[in-house]
Amino acid sequence: MYKYRAQLTKGDEIRYISHLDYAGVMERAIRRAKLPAAYTEGFNPHLKMSFASPLSLGVTSDAEYMDFELTKPLCQPEIFDKLSAALPPGIRLIKLKPVKEPKPCEGKKHKALMAEVEQGIYEVVAPLTGDWDEAVKAVAAYNAASEVNYHRVTPKKTRDIEVKQYMLEPVKIGMSGDWVKLTMNISITQTGSIKPVEILELLHNEYGLPVALGRALINRSKLMGQGKDLIDLV
Amino acid sequence: MIKLEPEILQAVEKPARYTGHELNAVHKDWDEVDCHFALAMADTYEVGMSNLGLKILYEVLNNRQDTACERVYAPWTDMEAIMRERSIPLFSLESFTEIKKFDFLGFTLQYEMIYSNILNMLDLAGIPIWTKDRSDVDPFIVGGGPTVYNTEPIADFFDFFILGEGEEVISEVAKTFVKWKREGKPGGRKGFLKEVAKLEGIYVPSFYNVKYNEKGYFSSIEPKEPEARAKIYKRVIKDLDSVHFVEKPVMPYIGIVHDRIMLELFRGCTRGCRFCQAGTSYRPIRERSREYLRELARKLVDSSGYNEMSLTSLSSADYSCLGELVDDLFADFEGEKVSFSLPSLRIDSFSIDLAHKMQQVRKSGLTFAPEAGTQRLRDVINKGVTEENLMTAVEAAFKQGWKQVKLYFMMGLPTETDEDIVGIARLAEKVARKYKEVKGKWGVTVTISVSCFVPKPHTPFQWFGQLPKDEFERRQRLLKDSITERAVKFHYHDARVSVLEGAISRGDRRISQVIYQAWKDGAKFDGWTDLFKEDVWHEAFRKCGIDMKEYSERTRDFDEPLPWEHTTPGVSKDFLKREWNKAVAEQLTEDCRRGKCSGCGVCPSLKVDIVDWKRKEGEVKANV
Repeated sequence: MYKYRAQLTKGDEIRYISHLDYAGVMERAIRRAKLPAAYTEGFNPHLKMSFASPLSLGVTSDAEYMDFELTKPLCQPEIFDKLSAALPPGIRLIKLKPVKEPKPCEGKKHKALMAEVEQGIYEVVAPLTGDWDEAVKAVAAYNAASEVNYHRVTPKKTRDIEVKQYMLEPVKIGMSGDWVKLTMNISITQTGSIKPVEILELLHNEYGLPVALGRALINRSKLMGQGKDLIDLV
Repeated sequence: MIKLEPEILQAVEKPARYTGHELNAVHKDWDEVDCHFALAMADTYEVGMSNLGLKILYEVLNNRQDTACERVYAPWTDMEAIMRERSIPLFSLESFTEIKKFDFLGFTLQYEMIYSNILNMLDLAGIPIWTKDRSDVDPFIVGGGPTVYNTEPIADFFDFFILGEGEEVISEVAKTFVKWKREGKPGGRKGFLKEVAKLEGIYVPSFYNVKYNEKGYFSSIEPKEPEARAKIYKRVIKDLDSVHFVEKPVMPYIGIVHDRIMLELFRGCTRGCRFCQAGTSYRPIRERSREYLRELARKLVDSSGYNEMSLTSLSSADYSCLGELVDDLFADFEGEKVSFSLPSLRIDSFSIDLAHKMQQVRKSGLTFAPEAGTQRLRDVINKGVTEENLMTAVEAAFKQGWKQVKLYFMMGLPTETDEDIVGIARLAEKVARKYKEVKGKWGVTVTISVSCFVPKPHTPFQWFGQLPKDEFERRQRLLKDSITERAVKFHYHDARVSVLEGAISRGDRRISQVIYQAWKDGAKFDGWTDLFKEDVWHEAFRKCGIDMKEYSERTRDFDEPLPWEHTTPGVSKDFLKREWNKAVAEQLTEDCRRGKCSGCGVCPSLKVDIVDWKRKEGEVKANV
């Protein structure tokens, strides 16, 4: 088997499809590309593919990662071109690399893609509804706080999460036109993380960030492990 | 162009229903084409996107240089509430253009219970509900599809209907429109309707006068414009290899109801089941050639990336070269992990062997439709299936490893007695015990799914009075109490919906008022059990002074004029009467594709012939 890692986008056109639907769309794209894809064994064979950290509904991304396997080693440009041509609107292939499996003497195999993820960088834009100074102050106050709790309600359970443990850097604030631009560098761990939309909610509700929450747009710009983009870990 | 804010899309269930941009969707420059056609289904995105007819027409229309065809479906109730609150009009999924700006809005009429949704969509689009209130700025509202053989209950909401198969006529409609538009739209709205009424298969309801007799029953419908025909026959494609079929289906990003390739093998079914409207309205049998189907299968797999293909037809196992076709497909797609399925199985071992071959190891479950519980009643409905046939088929299935069997039945068929109802339970139990006999142990599930019979226009049962709701419910209880075997599971349809469907499907133009009233009072998504509002509908009948039971339960006279006879699939009234008499006499009629012609009238009146590749090879020469 020959494993490859792809860095893909999730564009504005498809920001409202779920992680599972995104995987289904990629499976059909690989089929349309006529790549010699590897399938799982069993009664219900499906493509051998795996994804990194799932993206929330409504969030776009420049850093979706997918590992997949082929039964024949094709050259990188051929796979890149065939797959690119088969992608639907809203998905672009940015980079593609073969995953070099370590030799048996070198010890363990590559970690699962999901397990390599440690860090995500997100950009959040939202229309400013008040003073710029007020916005800067809100972000500064949030950054200065030693502990911030987010009350997460899901259909199954409700719990409080301490947010600051996941902040790898202070939230940065900038302006573009009438829109506030926030950059969040968030730690993603095996046991949990915090979503950028939750940080935005806290900034708005608890720290008075004057933005139109309902019109905010979030984009994942990077997904990293060991301080590097996931595509550079292979 | 309609732009939905993130806060709207974040607030609704399945927002990708409204965001378009699917692969293979066709985007044309609005100003570059003369004809803008919105194709609609008055149901959710997932249901609408699964409809084969719409997929075909979408490609046929978009293949025309002068036409842009876009899609629109009914927004779910959460989205509708937001659209109404913020005054967002109904929009198309390609260019996000307001539906009101299109030249045509075409609805596929799949079943009666979506009529309230059609009104709701017109309202959301800002288009007047009643045809008479529309002006030159409004699109033409067009309907076509299975319920088009009695359009009277919705006649006052539509500008025109297309009867029968649409591949050729929809293009003629577009062509007629473009010509009329380029000539400066002579005669305005009515001028176009006069032009389009000249095409075969087109029914313009506003061009007719309807009369009722002193008892209040429908008595006549007569043309009042020279262009209107006294009788409109359906359109039929003589050679299915000669018309366009789907080649590049629009690929949804989210799961839809039929999320697979649909390869249509043939149209029509002449087995002659007397309850079945599809059986009379899609006549005669016309098969696609094995070579063309093979070619289509390749194109569809390549353009979609799907790994599942359903070989669809009314009775797919009747395709004359099915065994050979399946061999071809297996060979063509070897190594591509494409799986094939048949949506319906015939009750015989040929079907079982084929299903076994197609499903290989995965045995999901088999579905058969004996339709009635006793031989007597199966003879009444001309379901040429015996208990022995069923037992042979399930025995073969159990030997091949299946453990789940689903059996479809109907209740409320003409002449049905309690014995026939109990017979359903007995038959299901025999199937369950057959498993024990074959396998030497229990472990089977036999699910019986029982619907309530709705008599339909242009069938031999079109005169028959439907059972009252309470009687359906009594028979459902009787059946439930008659089941003693634990392996048998019982599902039944909601009789409240079936009797409403019964009233609407044989309704006349006065039913329009009731549908309008029910919609006004909040009826929508009536086919969705949890949203069906029985009381709203009953109240609507009352407010309009119309007795629902007159439409559902009344047995019509043979010589009584029926409100749907001017829009016909071509079967003659004499044939239907003959079939009714044979039903009561428990006599069978054979399938005309290989056997004797039953004289239904379709072939001569539509100038069409059976296309059956095995018959063509000279095996049988049927009489003409």
